Amino acid sequence: MTNSIIETVLDEANKRNAKSVLEVHLVVGRFTMLGLEQLRYCYRLLTKDTPLEQAKLRIEREEGRVRCEKCKFDGPIQFKEEPQYHLVYPTLECPRCGGPVELTAGRSCYIKSVKLRA
Amino acid sequence: MSNVEKVVKHDAGEVFDIELEESILKANEDLAAKNRELLQRHGIKAIDIMGSIGSGKTSLIECIVQRLKGKCRIAVLNGDLTTTIDADRVAKHGVEVIQINTGKECHLDANLVAKAFEEMRLDQVDLLLIENVGNLICPGEFRLGADKRLVVISVTEGPYMVLKHPFIFMEADVVVINKLDLAEAMGVEFEKLRGDVSKINPGAGVVGTSCRNDLGIDKVIEALQISD
Repeated sequence: MTNSIIETVLDEANKRNAKSVLEVHLVVGRFTMLGLEQLRYCYRLLTKDTPLEQAKLRIEREEGRVRCEKCKFDGPIQFKEEPQYHLVYPTLECPRCGGPVELTAGRSCYIKSVKLRA
Repeated sequence: MSNVEKVVKHDAGEVFDIELEESILKANEDLAAKNRELLQRHGIKAIDIMGSIGSGKTSLIECIVQRLKGKCRIAVLNGDLTTTIDADRVAKHGVEVIQINTGKECHLDANLVAKAFEEMRLDQVDLLLIENVGNLICPGEFRLGADKRLVVISVTEGPYMVLKHPFIFMEADVVVINKLDLAEAMGVEFEKLRGDVSKINPGAGVVGTSCRNDLGIDKVIEALQISD
């Protein structure tokens, strides 16, 4: 994953004849399986000796949103608590009517923008 | 020569922002959509079978194949890091089996499945069962283009498997809880696990099975809507 992020940014930088990359702005959904700690670690390793070496990696989280077919609820995903295990987990249960909902946001991972130096 | 007089260029050292909106997961999503289209064109129903290591994914496939092999033409893709152990087990039942060895990857992706399609006679298949790599984490992220996603767990993994892995259960259309014959010995209740699935994903069907004793298989087939 980190590799394909870096490749995409390098392609863009080459296309625009940029000397270096100053910032990569990434959006990562809370409902992807990506671990940010690992992502940052791999990014640091893989950008060494590339035009991205000094580029800051800015990560914005995309929150989960759901839509209910039945009652037409459209809003943030609901979380439930299991205090006995100190656990908070997401649910595809409609916060309004209790029916099943569909996840409409939170699974993205995309490069929103890059800051380049000519 | 251009007739345009005003050309705005970046000066050396100038900093500029580029809006990219380039999706990283999209490559897999696009390939999955292509796989799905190809399967639909050939009238193939495909099931992505995910689940924990040793939960009984292969056993469940064997049970389903035994039930349905006289009724429709079945092909099985077996995803695993190495070995053809699972593929060999399924091949004994006389259906087409293709092993996908991922090497070190902990999940199948749409590209590997597309490559397997090249080895298959798709016009001779009605039902495709895809056994994903045993793992309750990353397979959820990478859709393959299947019609339905099934997650298999078993009571021997203890009572907390569902709540510990909410993301993969959010992805599931059907959840199978296997090895019910060992539930009492393990002190694990099927109803507790079923309740946990419903708390996370009330839209998912939950079926209890004991593949070793060939129990509950008809209900799985019914939940997956693959009986004809």
